This record gives sequence, C-alpha cells and structure tokens, in this order.
Amino acid sequence: MPIASSDLQSLRQSISKIGRDGSARPMDPVSKKMPTGHPALDHTLGGGLARDALHEVVPQSPSDLAAATGFALGLIGRLAQGRDWVWIGEEMTRHEGGQAYGPGLKNFGLDPARLLLVAPRMAEDGLKAAEDALRCAALGAVLLEPWGHPKQLDLVALRRLSLAAEENTVPLIILRHGGQSLAGSLRTRWRVAAAPSQGRESVGNPRFALTLLLNRQAGAQGAGGSWTTEWSHGERLFRPADSVDHLSASADRQAETPDAA
Amino acid sequence: MIVALDRHALAVGLSKGMTLATARALCPALDVAESDRLADRQLIEQVASWMERYTPCVGLIAADGETPEGVALDITGAAHLLGGEESLLADCLTRLRAQGFDASAAIAGTSECAAAFARFKDEAIIIPAGTEPQAAASLPIAALGLSSSDVIALARLGLKTIDDLASRPRAPLAARFGRDLLARLDRVRGVVETPITPRRFIPAFITERRFAEPIGHEDDIHRTILTLAADLARMLEKQGQGGRRFELAFFRADGAMRRLGIETARPLRDPKGVMRLFRDRLDTLADPLDPGFGFDVIRLSVPVAEILDAHEPDFDGRTDLAEDLAALIEKLGVRLHPSRVMRIHAEDTHLPERAMRRLPAQDGNAALAAEWDLWSDADLPPLRPIRLIDPPEPVDVIAEVPDGPPIRFRWRRVFHVVVKAEGPERLAPEWWRMTGQALPPTRDYYRVENEQGARFWLFRAGLYERETNDPRWFIQGLFG
Repeated sequence: MPIASSDLQSLRQSISKIGRDGSARPMDPVSKKMPTGHPALDHTLGGGLARDALHEVVPQSPSDLAAATGFALGLIGRLAQGRDWVWIGEEMTRHEGGQAYGPGLKNFGLDPARLLLVAPRMAEDGLKAAEDALRCAALGAVLLEPWGHPKQLDLVALRRLSLAAEENTVPLIILRHGGQSLAGSLRTRWRVAAAPSQGRESVGNPRFALTLLLNRQAGAQGAGGSWTTEWSHGERLFRPADSVDHLSASADRQAETPDAA
Repeated sequence: MIVALDRHALAVGLSKGMTLATARALCPALDVAESDRLADRQLIEQVASWMERYTPCVGLIAADGETPEGVALDITGAAHLLGGEESLLADCLTRLRAQGFDASAAIAGTSECAAAFARFKDEAIIIPAGTEPQAAASLPIAALGLSSSDVIALARLGLKTIDDLASRPRAPLAARFGRDLLARLDRVRGVVETPITPRRFIPAFITERRFAEPIGHEDDIHRTILTLAADLARMLEKQGQGGRRFELAFFRADGAMRRLGIETARPLRDPKGVMRLFRDRLDTLADPLDPGFGFDVIRLSVPVAEILDAHEPDFDGRTDLAEDLAALIEKLGVRLHPSRVMRIHAEDTHLPERAMRRLPAQDGNAALAAEWDLWSDADLPPLRPIRLIDPPEPVDVIAEVPDGPPIRFRWRRVFHVVVKAEGPERLAPEWWRMTGQALPPTRDYYRVENEQGARFWLFRAGLYERETNDPRWFIQGLFG
C-alpha cells in the first residue's frame, strides 16, 4: 500500500522541527505537546503527547518489559530535548529487569550524561522523589519505575503528581512492570509489546506494538488505537513501521533498476 | 577484683585492686556489680557528647588503653556564655547530679591538673590561672597516676604529696624512677600543657542558642534553626565560604543529645536553603526528634566549608536552571542518601559490566558527554542493551553447532525461539588488568530476537575447543 503523501508531509514537518544535530533545540515554550513523529499517532493524540501530565506505560507481558522501557525511553528522548531527566527506579526493578545501561542509552540516541539516576529502596520514597523532580522545572522529563503495584500509587498520590507535572510542565512517564492499571489522573495509558524488527536476517532498529488504552489528551481524535512503530535513534523520533518498510522497499527497487538496465 | 568503688566503699577502707573476698571480709554488706567495660565506655561517651553543650572541644580522660574515667572540656572562650567559670562549673555539676551521677569537677589551666583535682579533691575547685603549681602541692602522690609499686616506693622514702616530690632535686628522682615521673609531675602541676584531644573534629563555624526555658515545639525549633542559619550565613559570608556539610546538635535538659547532619551538592549559606534541607531531614527521620522536656541548647555548625563567591542568588528568587537541578540533587540526597542519587560515567573498557559506573551525583562529578561518543552510531541499530543484567544470568541454550548462534534458549523458565541472531562480537578478557589471576574465558556476544520480537543480549563464555568443550551461556542485557 503506497504511503499517503499527506502522511509523508507531516512526517517531514515533524522531522524539520528537530534541530539539525538531532537534539537540543529548545521547545516552543507555549507548546505543551510533544509530537512523537508518528503521524497517525500524533493525530490521535491531538498533536502530540502532553508535557504537563502523567502517562502510564505497561508491558503486555513480562517479556515485554524491555520493549515498554524502550518506548518510554523514546518518549523521554523526545520530551527531554537535551535537558536533564530523571529515572527513578525502585531498587527491586534493577534486580528483576536490569539496570539503566549507559552505552545502550547512547546507542538508543539518549545522552547518558543527562540522566540523573535515582534508586529509592521503597515505593514511598520513589513517589516523593518523583514529586520533588516534577517540581524542578529544569528537567525535561521524569521516568518513574515502581515495583509491582504499590498501594501508595493511589488516587491522591497520582493527583499530587499530576498537579506538580502541570504546574511545571514536566511530564511523568510511569513505567510499570505489570500489575493492574493505575486508576487516577493519567492523561494516557499505553500497552507495549515487542515487535519483530525490520529485515529477515539481521536485528534492526527497535520496534514496538503499541496500543493506546486511555486517551484524555486535549483535542484528542479518537479514544485509542493500535500501531506498530519504529524508534529511529539517529533522528530521535518514532516512525510508522510500515512507512519504513515501504521506503526501504522502494529504495531497494531503485537500487535494482540500474542492474536490470 | 575491685575495679571501681563509690564514696561509701572508700570510707570503709576498700580500695581498687582488692580481691572481692578481702573486700567482703572487710565489709559484709557490700553491694557488688559485675564490671562491664563496654557499657562504661558507652556511658562516658554519652556523657561526653552531652558535655558538648558547654564547648565543642570535649576529650576523654583515660590512662593508656584503659576505660576512660572522665571528660575534659576546653572552656577557653566558652565560660562567659554561662556567666563565668563558677556558674559553668556549678551548672555542670548540678546537671550531672540531677542525672544521678556522683560527679566531681575542677577548672585549671591545663587538663591534667584539673583532672587531678577533680579526682582527689571532693569539692568543686577553680584554680586561679598561674597558681597551679602551688595549688597542686597538697595533692597526694597517687594523683600522678603511677604504678602502685612506684607509689609504695615513694611512700617508703617519705614522699606523700606532690609538694614533697616537687621540692626534691629532679636529677636523682629521674635516675631512680625514670623521666616519666618528672613528666607526670610537670603535667599535674600545670607547668606543661597537654592539649585535649577532641573526640570529634571541631568545626570552623559554630553558632548556638541557649534557652532558659527549654523549647520543644516544632515551630520554635524551626525558628531557632532559621536564626542559627542566619548567624552562620553572616559568619560564612565574612570568610567568603559556603557550607558543604551542616550539623545540628540538640541538647536535652535531661542529658540526651541528638545530632543531625545534611550534605549539600555545592557550597551553601543561604539560611532558607539550609533551613529547607534540615526541614526535609527532620520530616523524613525514621525515629523522629524527641524533645522530651525540651531542648535547652541547639547548636548549628559547619564541619566542611568551601569557597563560595560573594553573592549567592537568593534561594527562592533565582531562575537559574542549573541551580534548580543542584537543589533537587541535594534534596533527594538528604531524603534518600547521597549514594542513591547518581550520575552514570563511561569507563574506558570494553568489558560490558565495567563500561559504566554509577557515582553519587552530589560529588560534583559532572558527567562528561564526550566520554560516551564511542557508543553513538546513528546508522547502526543499537549494539548495546538499554537494560543491563548485572551480574549476567545463566541461560540454557540450544545451538546448531557448538560455536554457532543460539537457536533456542530458556531464561527464567521461559522458552524463547530465536528468529534472528547477530554475532558473534568477540570480547576477549582484558588480560592487562588481570595480574596473577586466572584469565576469564573469552566471550562471544549475540544480539538475538525471538518470535515475538523481544531482543536479548546473550554471550557464550569460552571459545569452543580452544578454551572449553562445554561452553556456558549467559544473558546480560535487554534491548528496547
């Protein structure tokens, strides 16, 4: 299926919004939304992911934790835009899911030097740390990774966090390891599964199968949806997986043509 | 054997070193308690901590290697705060006695002179400055702390007091009893000064508040901390310094004492900033501050200071983002512990588990972005995982050939069918770092993807046939 030219257009536009070096362009201060780069996704979100809100990212199965982490980090890469960001990972999450790995983050297009890593022992400490971080307007984003389903993450706690996020326009991504969905002041909730990367033989760029389960974005078009997206760490944006396949397929054809001639 | 006794026991003629049987024979109604040196030591340490209410320079008085038997205070410049030496001495004794101690005390020009008077005179004495040698004359020889054989030998010579000894020619005494005797004599007579070794490092900046009526209310305590912080800010500003560590000491009227410390990410002297950090610290204490009947002394000190530029922007009014971030690091450090708030640093090694280090963010190790350049390549898919499993976990792997990529593996009871595998990336052990140890096996790393699309980082430890015939497999990371 050929890609719609309007999609390509908006893709180009969102690419042009990124700095030439792929980083560090200060965001438009009035813009409270961050386009992901994926046109259909951004359309559903009403322009992009809200910066002044809470977003929950849930792995579809325990094996999808890394995929959920990848998607969350991609969002952070988009949101932080060269600013410092905080990853609050409760101690147990490190033992169970591995620890944030600098070389891998760099490979993923994120600057490890910008990461402030916080390792609280308990859920309660993590929550307080998250609230403190959200009150620091210098930050580009905050990633909170609680272990299991902490009872402290209740309606009241989420409300407090969302107020802090709103006041300072610092987004909070809550990366879950499983457990029930959070109930409360979330702007969006995502279910993430790993998706096979491009190519038959080689392991390619990260791909995720996304399902938008909850969409309370302002100006949202639709309640949710499912997409497969690829994270391009070079450009630091999400792309529709099929558009990548399509582009490279046509590139292959072009490459073949001279040979045939 | 008797190691310590009270006033009444002394009165009936018992003495240290006596066996219990002899003592019982002399006084059948004797009350005996087992000696517990550790508890003794803890108690005296506790008393010493509490004594810091008078001066930060508090040392312990102890014979070599013995359990301390007293506390020495350097009250230079501190006495006037309590209305002079007499009232300080009286206050100190009243408070100690109120806590149930049978204490004696003396003030003199040197610590050993004062200690001798405290031990061998019953009443509280203040020796006027410069008169120590004359005052010490009447003290018994025992005040020198000599071995019992020396004391007996001196007694046989008819030497019973310090004066007897001091009026003798020195050379024959030294020849008979050693130079040590003369040194002790000089110290007790206050001729030679022995400095007090403080138990704790004495901070350069100290300020305190004393209350006639002990305070216990939270608001009062907070207000006091703020005024102390303001005092300290002026002192620090004069010296162009800022504190990197602040310490609060709360002295309770009944002898309990509590210390609270905070560390900052950068030199700080703004009172509101100091206050805020302490408030966070107070709010998150596992065992909250217990004022009991109230604190009568609160002291704020700066054990560690650093140079700070003349004008520090106001904690509230500034807009500088870097400052904001430093404040956050500081706050989280106070709440969680500085080691739980980290920056990650690249290390020059290709051993994956060593390629990154987590260091406390507060140490000011601003991470160097350039260090990570090794790992940026926009054209290749990520070669390193975003989550590192450290230490690597063993996995059961089926490979077509012993030195080939895995085709199936099991990790944490879950079976994965490998659809795509890239590798091997061979990482040899860094033999130049290993001296005198057995070389760990070479690792062949594979990036693999399972049927669902999940991506893993596996390695085979040991080169087949060259290093091992049965290579083991491990998982070390997860890709996004």
